[in-house]
Amino acid sequence: MNKDIRKVRNIGISAHIDSGKTTLTERILFYTQRIHAIHDVKGKDGVGATMDSMELEKERGITIASAATYCEWQGHEINIIDTPGHVDFTIEVERSLRVLDGGILVLCSVGGVQSQSITVDQQMKRYKVPSIAFINKCDRSGANPFRVIGQLREKLGHNAVALQIPIGLEADFEGVVDLIAMQAVYFDGDNGETLRIEAIPEAIREEALQRREELIDAATMFSDELTEVVLEEKEVSEELLISALRTGVLAREITPVMVGSAYKNKGVQLLLDAVNNYLPCPDEIENVALDTENDEAPVILTSQNDDPLVALAFKLEDGQYGQLTYIRVYQGRLAKGGTIINVRTGKKVKIGRVVRMHADQMEDIEAIPAGYIGALFGIDCASGDTFVAPGLDLTMTSMFVPEPVISLAVKPVDHKAEINMSKALNRFTKEDPTFKTHVSEETGDTIISGMGELHLEVYIERMKREYSAVVDTGQPRVAYRETITAQAEFDYIHKKQTGGAGQYGRVAGYLEPLADEEFVFESQIVGGAIPTQFIPSCEKGFRRCLAKGPKMEFPVTGVKAVITDGASHAVDSSDKAFQAAARGAFLQAYAKAKAVIQEPIMKVVVESPTEFQGAVMGSLNQRRGMIVGSQDEGVMTVIESQVPLAEMFGYSTVLRSLTQGKAQFTMEFATYRQVPQSVAEEIAKKRSEEKKKVA
Amino acid sequence: MKKDLLMRNPLRQLGYGSEDILADGAFGAILARAGLGKTAFLVQIALHTMLRDRSVLHISLDDPVDKVSLWYQEVFNLMAKSRQAIPSSDLWDHLLPQRFIMTFKVEGFSVPKLRERLTDLTEQDIFHPHTLIIDGLPFDGDMGGLLEDLKAMCGETGIRSWFTVRTHRHEEPGPDGMPPQLADLQNLFDIALQLLPDGQDIHIRQLKGGTGQDTPLRFDPATMLIKAD
Repeated sequence: MNKDIRKVRNIGISAHIDSGKTTLTERILFYTQRIHAIHDVKGKDGVGATMDSMELEKERGITIASAATYCEWQGHEINIIDTPGHVDFTIEVERSLRVLDGGILVLCSVGGVQSQSITVDQQMKRYKVPSIAFINKCDRSGANPFRVIGQLREKLGHNAVALQIPIGLEADFEGVVDLIAMQAVYFDGDNGETLRIEAIPEAIREEALQRREELIDAATMFSDELTEVVLEEKEVSEELLISALRTGVLAREITPVMVGSAYKNKGVQLLLDAVNNYLPCPDEIENVALDTENDEAPVILTSQNDDPLVALAFKLEDGQYGQLTYIRVYQGRLAKGGTIINVRTGKKVKIGRVVRMHADQMEDIEAIPAGYIGALFGIDCASGDTFVAPGLDLTMTSMFVPEPVISLAVKPVDHKAEINMSKALNRFTKEDPTFKTHVSEETGDTIISGMGELHLEVYIERMKREYSAVVDTGQPRVAYRETITAQAEFDYIHKKQTGGAGQYGRVAGYLEPLADEEFVFESQIVGGAIPTQFIPSCEKGFRRCLAKGPKMEFPVTGVKAVITDGASHAVDSSDKAFQAAARGAFLQAYAKAKAVIQEPIMKVVVESPTEFQGAVMGSLNQRRGMIVGSQDEGVMTVIESQVPLAEMFGYSTVLRSLTQGKAQFTMEFATYRQVPQSVAEEIAKKRSEEKKKVA
Repeated sequence: MKKDLLMRNPLRQLGYGSEDILADGAFGAILARAGLGKTAFLVQIALHTMLRDRSVLHISLDDPVDKVSLWYQEVFNLMAKSRQAIPSSDLWDHLLPQRFIMTFKVEGFSVPKLRERLTDLTEQDIFHPHTLIIDGLPFDGDMGGLLEDLKAMCGETGIRSWFTVRTHRHEEPGPDGMPPQLADLQNLFDIALQLLPDGQDIHIRQLKGGTGQDTPLRFDPATMLIKAD
């Protein structure tokens, strides 16, 4: 393993679904001799591209889960995180972006900057990932890389500059002119593995000179030395130009653009040179952990091997030898045989096998140094867990896990599916803390819960594909809840003194609304009106009422129960009697406490071309949405709104048709809010119909 | 709590006939040096307007939507605290639909664009602004044309507008006390209030409209709230 951290690159390849990034990754692995044959993405030869190790990905030709692999190029070690290109798999994308230091933005020379390119670019911006761009498919009919460079500038706001120009286009695409070395490069051999360097063809020499001028002009912004050389009209050396561009890329102020065709084996080796030349090594990136002991205050990590370990488990996979945990080490060294702590569980973990991954093949190694990505075997953890050296209390991700807001009943079609479904759900809940599962007491169905409709759909699809668990699904259900809005008193006697052991308990007090907490119990009993040993029984009785609210059987939250008085019987009072009394008291007061139904409200942010912003706002308004504001960003407008989750089913289709597929939206849980009366009535109606069906 | 906040609106002491302070289609300006609290002042005007169930369109040329939102939340909490009340989430939920935030890049802001956006909102019955808050318009540049167009638009719709105007310490005001940023534009404005630091205090002077003197109001730099003397 390379010991020089300056020669390490952790990169992601992000792009629109059809821009050919999996083909590009495959070619990268071929030229770096990690694989010895090239396979098609769609798996015509039955093998499929190496990076797409999940069945679903192979079939659709898209990448869902981010596999990590490494390769070597010109003395540099490159770890590639293959990131999903689809907007719906946000957790995967965000986890990938968290662990990589630089990115290649792949664009199609025909399709240009499409809506998903905008989304992945936004995500790269959010995580401040320096990037270079590769305009792929220059051999396709309609290819126009300079139009795409223009779009990179206008639509994405990149300071994009061409490092190369194509020699011919479409069917005549032969090679590229390298504007740094000022030479023509052709890709010979069966798989383009032999580079042939020649003089720039006369027909495009003038254009190449002009583009090089533009490139140098852009690079001078980042180097005084280069500016001086230019002003003195001296020859600009390759090293000086590369160094100036690198400074610009690391500051995210310039995006060098390369061109090629991965499918036709053209331009990939030069892209790898660019990865080494322009993208950062791990210690050029500032990584921040959160101090759990200090209110999650940010702590900057060092990327030194000698410092205490901080590492992030960013992906889990079921391998043939058990659970495989992909891990990025930020600080310290993760060595075989060492002991580390899982910050979430506080448990000590002994490190067994440490490997370096190449899609689904692996190589055993002794340790993973700071800045590197590797994988561990036999570690029981969830995705997103942080591992640290004993004594440290740092976490790479916030410990906050939102409660699921939507659920769905799933029914396996047969016994085999039932067994497989159980395995799948066990795996998914470990991978994703926002995905939960339980069995409904009412119907006996397995209920899966998550953060949105698409979130659950992805898991249902994965169950089928990866675990052969075919399931029938019910209608998605919103996680409504009940609460009270007024104070109400109770005074209830539970009395059963006919035959056998008697029961007696009296509780009096009041219920009142409570903000920001689920339930609080307070005893103001003095003088032993209720014997001390039965006070916890009262609390237990109240708590038992919360699971199913009296109004519509939704969970009850935001209630404070205060007991002020009561009575007991020397013989007949018991734990059971006071629990029953508390339950009766709760029901008595709840009926008077103006109970209401609350629904999850989502923060919905739509990013749309400005010309469609009116239509988008209208669509949100129609969904009972409250528009918080709109942010004009030139060609794009970002609309922020709060919309009830119940109204958001199928919104992606609506948005697509409203905006010709050019708008994107993200959705996350914001708060719970009372449902309007008319909606409450509808929910009640539906609820009673469902109950009739179950009965 | 709503009633309490309404009754104790310190702006009532400015002595204007209408609770809106500004008449239909009129312009008001809050002038101050950077960092004295112009935005907080206008957010209070906005919140008092919203408390009276009038809708406010807040246009920011400086800050993103999230940051403007935070201003409102913060000032609302401070207002509640000053009344020794716990900020009520019900009241906040009731106020929110009365507010719409729009942010533009300074160079991207124009009256035709604003008209287009307003039409989108009003025609679809999404939002009908009663008052505009325009924060961050660069009065150091030539704003005459834009303000005249805006005045015409507000005249047609009856929308009242409040602006923040950033002044500079080193610039002398004109003989009438008007800072140069508003000197040539004052005919467009009905009211101009200036925040003037004086030791630990910030006084509110009426440069235009009202008495033309110090008001009985102060702006408390510690709480960022308007207070009566």
